[in-house]
Amino acid sequence: MAKKRFVWHSAVVFLFLLIGGLFARAFAGTPGGADEVMRRSVLVQFYTGNDMKTNVTMRLLSKEGGERVRELVMARRNVKAGGDQKYFILFLRPPDVRDMTFLVWKYPLRDSDRWLYIPAIKLVKRIAANDKRSSFVGSDFSYEDVSGRAVEEDNHALLREEKFEGKDVFVVKSIPKDEKSADFGYKISWVDKGSFVLWKEEYYDKRGSLSRVFTADEVKPIQGFPTTIRRTMKNVQTGHRTEVTYEEVKYNLALADSLFSERSLKNPPKAFAK
Amino acid sequence: MIASAFLAAIALCPCSRALALSAHGFLEGAAGVRLTDNPSQPKDATLGEGRLQVELSQEGPADSRLFFKADLIGDAVEERGDADLREFYLDLSPAQVLDIRAGRQILTWGTGDLIFINDLFPKDFVSFFIGRSLEYLKLGNDAVKFSLYPGPFSLDLVAVPQFTPSEIPKEERLSFFNPFANRIAAPGESLSTRKPAATLENTELALRLYRTFGSYEGVLYGFRGFFKEPVGIDPAERTLIFPKLSAYGASLRGPFLQGIASVEFGYYDSREDRTGTNPLIENSSLKYLLGYERELRTDFTVRAQYYLEQMLDYGAYKASLPAGAPEKKEYRHLLFLRLTRFLRYQTVELSFIGFFSPSDEDGLVNPQVSYKITDRLSVASGANVFFGKKDFTQFGQLDKDDNLYLRLRASY
Repeated sequence: MAKKRFVWHSAVVFLFLLIGGLFARAFAGTPGGADEVMRRSVLVQFYTGNDMKTNVTMRLLSKEGGERVRELVMARRNVKAGGDQKYFILFLRPPDVRDMTFLVWKYPLRDSDRWLYIPAIKLVKRIAANDKRSSFVGSDFSYEDVSGRAVEEDNHALLREEKFEGKDVFVVKSIPKDEKSADFGYKISWVDKGSFVLWKEEYYDKRGSLSRVFTADEVKPIQGFPTTIRRTMKNVQTGHRTEVTYEEVKYNLALADSLFSERSLKNPPKAFAK
Repeated sequence: MIASAFLAAIALCPCSRALALSAHGFLEGAAGVRLTDNPSQPKDATLGEGRLQVELSQEGPADSRLFFKADLIGDAVEERGDADLREFYLDLSPAQVLDIRAGRQILTWGTGDLIFINDLFPKDFVSFFIGRSLEYLKLGNDAVKFSLYPGPFSLDLVAVPQFTPSEIPKEERLSFFNPFANRIAAPGESLSTRKPAATLENTELALRLYRTFGSYEGVLYGFRGFFKEPVGIDPAERTLIFPKLSAYGASLRGPFLQGIASVEFGYYDSREDRTGTNPLIENSSLKYLLGYERELRTDFTVRAQYYLEQMLDYGAYKASLPAGAPEKKEYRHLLFLRLTRFLRYQTVELSFIGFFSPSDEDGLVNPQVSYKITDRLSVASGANVFFGKKDFTQFGQLDKDDNLYLRLRASY
């Protein structure tokens, strides 16, 4: 009798454990769950609207207090949501890059096409773009940080759910599938459960030490889309940081495909800079 | 002259702010000294100048724009002051598919880095060889450019009514080969050149047809005008001339092996010596350029180029060459390497440029370091070291012109 009851109890406990384990995997540990969080986060950060235009100010701040400022106008057009995109950038300052233009045709899973126009000699230069880790205009942001890293390039795992500065967030750890495709060993992302805004991201180098920290400092709705209008990337190993402000963000402007062409590089539409 | 008048007018005009005029520019000091004694060049300085550049841009109605850029120069090597109108043009967009640029303008096309085949617009390699900044490599043309964008391709058509030659070593600063004396020119010697007359039939035409095929850019080029270097001789006048030239070419550029590869081809039709029998006029030729650029690691880029020039009708050239005249080879090979390394958040740039021609046995090495002290203040220093065995080759004639230069620029 006692033996029978023990078998029964064991079976029930086993079933509970099994179901509990399955649930835990479904809601936490499954690759699908964390992948979905990161996929939606990338869409919110880099693909909002069909297109977008904004004035960008980047302040490059050294540990010693030195400051350099980059001002540019950036337009982005989605060829396909979550897929190919085109970027057009006009530099306003500092003086040595003023009136330079930059065109990027981005493909998430292969190298982007990049062109730079140097107005002093009227030269359209093709930029070799296999290294997405290169610094964007000398800032702490890499090219990849500016235009997004494909979700498929990393393995994602949901570490936990928690409160981050009063907001409910998913905490996701991402490890590059190909070690050589990134300069980080892994990264940890704090993604808003409701809006999928990325609040914070920590990059760890290949030895496991914290190297850079991204924070979204101000997020506000623009045309109904949550938009990070102030952000910081800090290199904790050098003390250098870059603060970025987006002003006059506009979505769904029906930007023409011709804006993202050689013609615009050499002769940006006058209305673009305004 | 026009430049200084325009500058004065702008400076005196209190209404410039009301016109929403944008004004920029820089003040630059540059110095360069010889690294070796040069018997044909008595001065030790290759570069010594102060420059004030003024750039004004005025937007007008219907996407039009007036653009002006001029330098005021105090030159200690030539011991004179000068005003140089670099660019002064009007942009118009009269139709959705048409842009027009009229006036003095800098034109650049082709896939080469410091090597040009189908870009037959004037250049100033003297500035490059003495260490001025890269923007002085190109000279303005007085021209009209029509750019058409009908959709699947784009077309540039340039008409140059008044010929502008490339700047070549010919007087002070750099040594040059004197073909009349068959040696490097002595101090005080200069070469006279005769430009084609500014007539309707001498109007130069340049054409570029461009389209992309996915990530690849294909271009066709056409040109009818004159050589930009004085590669012809008028023996009666003892002067150098710019012979008639037509050129046809093509290029392709796009991603290849994690970098950017390019290939360019050109056929030069030397219209005044089609048979190649006139030794005083450059022969027709075929020109090829292969380029490859790749970012080897973060902020470190390598570019390599191979250029080949094949003289056509070489047998006729050799048969007609007077005894004792320097003999060119049928094939000229030129190798090019550029290394660029950025440090300290891209405020420090280390660069190395090397040219080497195995056929001419000459070359140039140009290391440079530049530093952006602040957003407005920058400094650059480097050296140009030339080598060569023969006095008449491109870099060989400059063998004794090795120099070290320093530039300091404040922008506003």
